[in-house]
Amino acid sequence: MEILKGIEMIDLALYIKDSKILILSDFHIGYEEELNKKGILIPRSQFKKTLERLKKLFLKLKENPNTIIINGDIKHEFGTISGQEWDDTLYLIDFLQTKSEKIILIKGNHDTIIGPIASKKNLELVDDFKIDDILITHGHKIPPDLKKTIIIAHEHPCIGLTDNIVLEKYKCFLKGKWNQHNLIVMPSFNLITEGTDILKDKLLSPFLKKNKIETFECFLVFDKIRYFGKIKDLLKSKIIKRDIY
Amino acid sequence: MIELQRTKYTDKEIYSSLNPLVRQWFKEKFKDFSEPQRFAIKNIHNKENTLISAPTGSGKTLSAFTSIISELVNLSEKHQLEDKVYCIYVSPLKALNNDIQRNLLEPLEEMTTMISNLKKKQKENLSKQIKSKNLGIRVSVRTGDTSASKKASMLKKPPHILITTPETLAIALVAPKFKYLISDVKWCIVDEIHALANNKRGVHLSLSLERLQNLAGRFCRIGLSATISPLDDVAKFLVGLENGKQRDCKIVDAQFIKKLDLKVVSPVNNIIEASFKELQDGLYNILDQMISAHKTTLIFTNTRSATERVVHNLMDRFPKKYTVNNIGAHHSSLSKEHRFDIEERLKQGKLRCVISSTSLELGIDIGHIDLVILLSSPKSVARAMQRVGRSGHKLLDKAKGRFVIMDRDDLVECALILKNALEKHIDNIDIPKNCLDVLAQHIYGIAIESINHIENIYSLVKRSYCYKDLTREDFMEVIKYLSGEYASLEYRKVYAKIWYDPDTEEVGKKGRLARVLYSTNIGTIPDESFITVKIGNQKIGTIDEGFLERLKKGDIFVLGGQIYEFKYARGMTIQVKANPGRPPTVPSWFSEMLPLSYDLALSIQRFRRLLEEKLKKQTKNQTMSFIHDFLYVDNNAANSIYEYFKEQYLFSEIPHDKKILIEFYEFQGRKNAIFHTCFGRRVNDVLSRSIAYAISRTEHFNVQITLTDNGFILSADRKLKALEGLKLIKSEELEDILKLAIDKTETLKRRFRHCASRSLMILRNYKGHRKSAGRQQISSQILINACREISSNFPIFKEAKREVMQDLMDIKNAKKVIKDIENRKIKIKIQDTKLPSPFALNLVMRGYTDLLKMEDKLDFIKRMHNMILAKISLGK
Repeated sequence: MEILKGIEMIDLALYIKDSKILILSDFHIGYEEELNKKGILIPRSQFKKTLERLKKLFLKLKENPNTIIINGDIKHEFGTISGQEWDDTLYLIDFLQTKSEKIILIKGNHDTIIGPIASKKNLELVDDFKIDDILITHGHKIPPDLKKTIIIAHEHPCIGLTDNIVLEKYKCFLKGKWNQHNLIVMPSFNLITEGTDILKDKLLSPFLKKNKIETFECFLVFDKIRYFGKIKDLLKSKIIKRDIY
Repeated sequence: MIELQRTKYTDKEIYSSLNPLVRQWFKEKFKDFSEPQRFAIKNIHNKENTLISAPTGSGKTLSAFTSIISELVNLSEKHQLEDKVYCIYVSPLKALNNDIQRNLLEPLEEMTTMISNLKKKQKENLSKQIKSKNLGIRVSVRTGDTSASKKASMLKKPPHILITTPETLAIALVAPKFKYLISDVKWCIVDEIHALANNKRGVHLSLSLERLQNLAGRFCRIGLSATISPLDDVAKFLVGLENGKQRDCKIVDAQFIKKLDLKVVSPVNNIIEASFKELQDGLYNILDQMISAHKTTLIFTNTRSATERVVHNLMDRFPKKYTVNNIGAHHSSLSKEHRFDIEERLKQGKLRCVISSTSLELGIDIGHIDLVILLSSPKSVARAMQRVGRSGHKLLDKAKGRFVIMDRDDLVECALILKNALEKHIDNIDIPKNCLDVLAQHIYGIAIESINHIENIYSLVKRSYCYKDLTREDFMEVIKYLSGEYASLEYRKVYAKIWYDPDTEEVGKKGRLARVLYSTNIGTIPDESFITVKIGNQKIGTIDEGFLERLKKGDIFVLGGQIYEFKYARGMTIQVKANPGRPPTVPSWFSEMLPLSYDLALSIQRFRRLLEEKLKKQTKNQTMSFIHDFLYVDNNAANSIYEYFKEQYLFSEIPHDKKILIEFYEFQGRKNAIFHTCFGRRVNDVLSRSIAYAISRTEHFNVQITLTDNGFILSADRKLKALEGLKLIKSEELEDILKLAIDKTETLKRRFRHCASRSLMILRNYKGHRKSAGRQQISSQILINACREISSNFPIFKEAKREVMQDLMDIKNAKKVIKDIENRKIKIKIQDTKLPSPFALNLVMRGYTDLLKMEDKLDFIKRMHNMILAKISLGK
């Protein structure tokens, strides 16, 4: 399904058809390790899941992209990098390099020391990336030069749907207007957590903070991409009253 | 053998067992033994396990301690008192601990004074050995609040009587030096056992006691309890098993020695006709009258917010009589300092009235109370007795309780509580069984103590009554979990808490931090997770986390009587906007509801059936005199009950223990199926979720549930095949259906977090970090997904499901109901109706509560009621 003309949503990724650019974001490799350090002893399955999901994504894509852009936060930890995180990140890049010759890393807020990895693998490391009238940037700050269409990540948007008995969260894409620009927010590829529930949580990106998020449209990522209309309509949907403990 | 103690010992028999000094002290102080003391002192002297159930003020504590003090004085006289702990006293309440210490130190001091007052000759007569004025018996409190220096001094001079909590006892069991001091314990007293036996704190304690027994050999176990049933099971819980056989225990049943003066009171003459104002005026006038006629009154409400409202309204309506100086609120969300202040002023007799939710039910000494008022039903006979038992400080005083009822269902419920209390039928508690999370914690603790063969651990665990039926498979699953088998081999070191060697079948501790992690993370009480509500930086109040899960941006809700609009959440804080000028969209009455006990529900149902029989055959006078004979209510109340049942009888059918009524009723385009199943909400939760699940599975649309103790409503915007749904549920498959129905629910996720925390999969305290409950909740979402992937039989996941189905809900009795329907012991009656029947009114109202103000609610009921009356008279 296209989110804007020429930009297709494929699972958790965006694909710019003309220039064959695949955009992925927010892998947060090392997330479980970080949780383990905090005393949350969840077994590690993130890396395995990520690779499996990527393989399926490339099957859906049917062609190999010219360029793969990682729109920030490939790894999770600020300031340091553990052995495990280093190995996993390199392995992930190796895998992506089998699919495309050109990999570009966009700096995210968690990527303060991504330099060594980029140079080891000869990757371009940039603050943002422009092509035609599209700007791709992580979204934790607003870059000086903007384009008609802006693609950001960082927010990890998801939507919690509930009938008040069952609550399920789904990752989603968002599309709306920001100062005359088209703004697209992409979901994270962190498969351990769904992300920020845009129906209730405080938003992080300066692109969204003071914006009327209610007017944005959302696209849920499930078995396929499903259009869910405007957020304000989701907020209005009928509540159901019942006892809970 | 568990047996009831029937012999009362004579003064002579008891005194002859006591040390002369203790004997003299007792004689001077009390003159006579109280009932529980007559039964128990001698048994405890003989080191027999004893469970004592008696009301407050009956000398319960001394019935446990007298023999022990006597023994210690004996030892002291012979200079044989060693530096070790002889008696451990465990109480679930930290606040109680200081009281007990005071109550023990006082007699010891008095005895010391007695010695010094004795003439020289008498002194020689009394004891040849005691020359000094000091008995040398030490009593200390050790809890989580005890300072490190105090703990260190306990190592040098150990207390002979140690006063502690279940959690601190479990930590003491792995403390390398302190453990040594408790390794020859002779007695263990478990106080307030009624507040432990039905929850995981009690389960936890039951394993600690078995671990203590491994350490110290056999010791005498003494349980102290307020009103509770069944005493047999509580005794089994206290003493555990030996080689698969129940250990012996004597039960001292003095639950009913206090005389009861109970009444059901209606604030107005005609409860259904009264306007909101009349009802409210009536309520506060009657409260004022009762408070004025007594010295100190204790009022119980069922919720914290109601507590605040009553305090506020009393001061508002009677500003000259009631001020912050003579009345106050006491509930669990108030600060420790505030509660302590209220307790102190209560003890000193400075307060006319205290209003509490549940926090004053437990036994801290609150001084002289001469009246207990119960606002709205306490939902169980035992709870009613515990609350009322707070009055009448001396044993000879009557315990005086007044149930103030607010509607007709309340009236019937309270009338039956009163009947059961007077006729000594106490509802039964359920003791949780095979809790795998608590088990994991203890196996970890045992492995820290020393290397152990798993066979030894298994047999230790099975000595606890709570684990007597634990399967080998479940036990091994927990061992596997603890040894980190769920993670792939390369990372196992992160997850393994113990090592397990399958060849030698031994387990032992892993990691240098094991003891610290254990000591800082054990316990069974889940972290309370309150979300702070703010406007900017200004704090408005708190809501609980379950409530936040229901909120979306723009939702309107009520907090502390004010209306707010939800803006967004950030961690443990939410931002709101005041006065949005729209009515609430989310109800707020859910979290604190006490469930009606199953036994009481059945008792109501049986009464319904009896009354139906009378209505069929007898005149009004005969029926009225039956109500009078059966219930202990006044004329007004009996008449209200008569009218209520008569209306239901004429309008529809009276549902009862052998008849379930389902009413189909349409309102504003929604189809409702009203199930009259008065089994209490724990059973109704199972029934309603299972049926709703079955319908939504076969019909592919969502069904809404409204739930109360008296029944439930399923509703949808199209035709509901509710009867078919009910028929789809087979008793044999109920558990499987319920498992599916609760999967992915908020309730299961929250309970899972508690279980993960108890099993130490989430460490609340880790390397100096303390995790907030909110942080844990985020992680538990991740964790539950991960556990699901490992196996649906992963012990923590399994335990969370068990806890929801057995502890929170009541699948056992729900299954019984379904079975009775299958066997046609319970008939099903169907009715299509344009108006909900009188019995359904409160249930229907529940669906709209909070969207309507209290005034509108009464209006609605009255309007409906008049329509019903009109219809009945037309039918005649």
